[in-house]
Amino acid sequence: MSTKEQRERIELLQGTLDLLILRTLLLGPRHGHAIAKAIEFNSDDVLQVEQGSLYPALHRLIKRGWISVEEGTSENNRRAKFYRLTPNGRRQLALETRKWDKLAGAIARILRPAEQEGEP
Amino acid sequence: MKQRKRMLEELDADIRDHIERETQDNIERGMSPEEARYAAHRKFGNITHVKEETRMVWSVVWLEQLFEDIRFGLRLLRKNPGFTAVAMLTLALGIGANTAVFSVVYAVLLRPLPYKDPSSLIVLNETTPMVGTVSVSYLNFLDWRNQSRAFSEMAAVRGVGFNLAGVTQPENISGDAVSPNFLSMIGARPFLGRDFDASEEKAGTPPVILLSYSLWQSHFGGDPNILARTIKLDDRSFTIVGVLPPNYRSLDKTDVMLPIGVWTTDNPEDAKERGARGDLVVIGRLATGVSLPKARAEMEGIAARLATEYPASNDRFGVTLQPIREAFVSDIRPAILVLFGAVMFVLLIACANVANLFLVRGAGRTKEVALRMALGASSGRIICQMLTESFVLSLLGGVLGVGLAIAGNRALAQLISADMMSGATVELNSAVLLFVAGVVVLAAFVFGLTPAMHSTKPDVQSELKESGRTTSGGAAQNRLRGALATAEISLALILLVGAGLMMKSLSRLLQVDPGFRPDRVLKMSMDLRTQQYLKDPAVLNFWQQVLDRVRVLPGVESAALGTVIPLTDNHNRSDVTIEGMALPAPGNYPHPDVHIVSPQYLTTLGIPLLRGRSFTDEDNENAPLAGMISAMVAHRFFPNEDPIGKRFMFGHPSATNPSKWYTIVGVVGDTKLYGLANPARLEVYVSYRQKPANAMGLLVKSGADPAALTSAIREAVHSIDKDQPIFAIVTMKKLVSDSVSTRRMTLVLLGLFSGLALILGAIGIYGVISYSVAQRTHEIGIRMALGAPRGDVFRLVVGQGLKLAGIGIAIGIVAAFGLARLMFSLLYGVSATDFETFAGVAILLVLVALLACYVPARRAMRVDPIVALRYE
Repeated sequence: MSTKEQRERIELLQGTLDLLILRTLLLGPRHGHAIAKAIEFNSDDVLQVEQGSLYPALHRLIKRGWISVEEGTSENNRRAKFYRLTPNGRRQLALETRKWDKLAGAIARILRPAEQEGEP
Repeated sequence: MKQRKRMLEELDADIRDHIERETQDNIERGMSPEEARYAAHRKFGNITHVKEETRMVWSVVWLEQLFEDIRFGLRLLRKNPGFTAVAMLTLALGIGANTAVFSVVYAVLLRPLPYKDPSSLIVLNETTPMVGTVSVSYLNFLDWRNQSRAFSEMAAVRGVGFNLAGVTQPENISGDAVSPNFLSMIGARPFLGRDFDASEEKAGTPPVILLSYSLWQSHFGGDPNILARTIKLDDRSFTIVGVLPPNYRSLDKTDVMLPIGVWTTDNPEDAKERGARGDLVVIGRLATGVSLPKARAEMEGIAARLATEYPASNDRFGVTLQPIREAFVSDIRPAILVLFGAVMFVLLIACANVANLFLVRGAGRTKEVALRMALGASSGRIICQMLTESFVLSLLGGVLGVGLAIAGNRALAQLISADMMSGATVELNSAVLLFVAGVVVLAAFVFGLTPAMHSTKPDVQSELKESGRTTSGGAAQNRLRGALATAEISLALILLVGAGLMMKSLSRLLQVDPGFRPDRVLKMSMDLRTQQYLKDPAVLNFWQQVLDRVRVLPGVESAALGTVIPLTDNHNRSDVTIEGMALPAPGNYPHPDVHIVSPQYLTTLGIPLLRGRSFTDEDNENAPLAGMISAMVAHRFFPNEDPIGKRFMFGHPSATNPSKWYTIVGVVGDTKLYGLANPARLEVYVSYRQKPANAMGLLVKSGADPAALTSAIREAVHSIDKDQPIFAIVTMKKLVSDSVSTRRMTLVLLGLFSGLALILGAIGIYGVISYSVAQRTHEIGIRMALGAPRGDVFRLVVGQGLKLAGIGIAIGIVAAFGLARLMFSLLYGVSATDFETFAGVAILLVLVALLACYVPARRAMRVDPIVALRYE
């Protein structure tokens, strides 16, 4: 088993997950479970994230100052931690989104050059 | 950081909450509670892993991993106390020896001298092919200083001695008369009071003096109001104008310092006679941008001009220049460097041994490593962790080693005489500890890296598949372990060769006939310096009384006086003219050591009388001048005739030199005045009554332990003059022994280190062979089951060990062949490639290797085939 491969996979996931969390919080503060649900729901369950991996990601984002955390009560009156996007986080999200679009576009162009040729 | 703590504390609750919510959702989707909880957990993933990952987010990762590795390493070490103890002790010995020797290296060779820019300070001496390096005459110094441009400053340092009438006992103190710019030139300032003034170079300057810090403390109790007080030296008062700094360091013991003007006033002949060279060195500071070779070229030019200008005193006299650091250490440097190399070897051997231990243990841990790698640990991570373990072990060894070094330094102090250290103090200071830290880290890498890398070799996967046996380390590992043991043997051989050559040198040296019998002879020095001894009759009267009173002391066999006691620093050389010889160029006159002696000198020191007679009480001031010559003088200047009755005089014949001819009455054996390893020189003897001397050594031969006579002799002398100091009291035996002390120290330490190396090397071979026997139990069982005789099995095992040892010995001999040359200057009477030593050491190593293999070989012979086979 090659450990190098494995680490690369994790890193790819991490970055993506961070982006998804930031995007989710753009719509307003949420607690951990709700973030997981939202990601699953919005991606039509394509992205099956191991929910546990959410927490290291959340902590990482807090450490970088992109999200903040506050105590609050959830819909059914249970105490919960709410994560909120900070202005820094908002900027980061815009930046990351642009980067992602560029990357996705570039990859798409590489993967489908034939279509472009085919079109006059 | 506070946030971090709170976040991590609440993480458990957060995760619990998350899973509960998911469970609730699942129940709402219609699962049974049990199913719902299970599904929630599955979806969440590994909780421990999540916590770990989250914690990592906040931690400085490498630091925390390091702590974890250290904890893990300590746990492992605690679990294997045997392994830990052996490895730690091995390392402690290696590191401790390095620490002890390095503390000497640092003190002697590395520690900055307490001077300003010491690298541009140069010590200058005169040199003549007759003798070698000699002192500088004061007039030559003045000319050097005037003519030299390569030096921005120069100062003369003239050794002086004084009698200090003390409270309890009169004592002899030593000091330097220096040019007034000396202290400022070397960058030292008086601790108290003032430096000398330029005007104090001139003759006629009032007697002022600086005290050394220690003399100020011991004789004046560190009195802060010392300035302007006086100190009585000989029987003159010197005004104290200051105290030298506590860290002042000079080439010789310095109790007091005075301006050279005081010395020139007191010794007008020495200061005005160009041929007078007595205990004066010149120290100069190179001008900016001038290199040593350039300065040397200039100075040699000046010396050559002076030799032409003043042939009578300077013919064939040149000049030597050496950096001041060299002047401090030149004697002991080779020995220290050899020993430093030796302890490095010991450490390498220790490391090889510990690496071997790690490999053996690593073999038992392959399963653990394989499992961890299968679970995703990177090989880098595992190497890191194993290195941390090595580091922890090395650190423990280092701490223990420093403890050993503290004890070792005390023993070293016994071995290294203060004389050899020329004022350097050995201590475990921050520089030494820094070195130890470096050694600890380096050692950890040296013994840890190979086993660590080895443990993550790719074949670990097969390791997992292999079911029961954990002992198979693989052929590669066995080769590696064999190579380590071989290296140990090579290194041990090099050290043993070094020790062997030293041992042979020392024994050869101690067999050298010094030309005199040192047994049961006590030597002490006296210098008559007070006003009452200005005239010869008083001096002679004092010496005569000393001899009369000491000779009758119980236990005294004989007593005598002499000015040039063998193996001391006291020398008195003079050109002589032999009557009737063809007069040579001024620099080519015979230049013997001149002994001024009393009757019984020869018997007291056991110097053989070869021809004629020795001095008697009749050779006094009223008798014709008599002299004795050494065998070498007789051989060189009277090769075909009887020297008895021939005459010689001191100096060159000239109008100003009244011809005082000494008639040769006896020929005596040569003595080794300059050390056992140095050849004897020309010597002449004259009677003390015919050439009185104020400074003489008293030699007393006793029937038993001569040192026991010390106080009786002291009393006898003080009954003549209670204020006369007696100093430099030592037995001749001790002088002989001290004269070889550098070599003895080298031998003792080298012997110790090579013994250590031998033991470690033997352990190394033993470890490899007994491990291999354990591994091959099965194979041996089969061989024996198939009918191999036990003797064959024995030979198989021993053969394996001897092969390792043989390769090690071969490599070691080649290396030792090259390295032994480096200790050339320490050897005496033995070549660096001495066959006997090399062969002896090789045989010794073979025997030790045999011994190390014997036990495992016996074990192999006792293997029971049934048991060995069933074990599978």
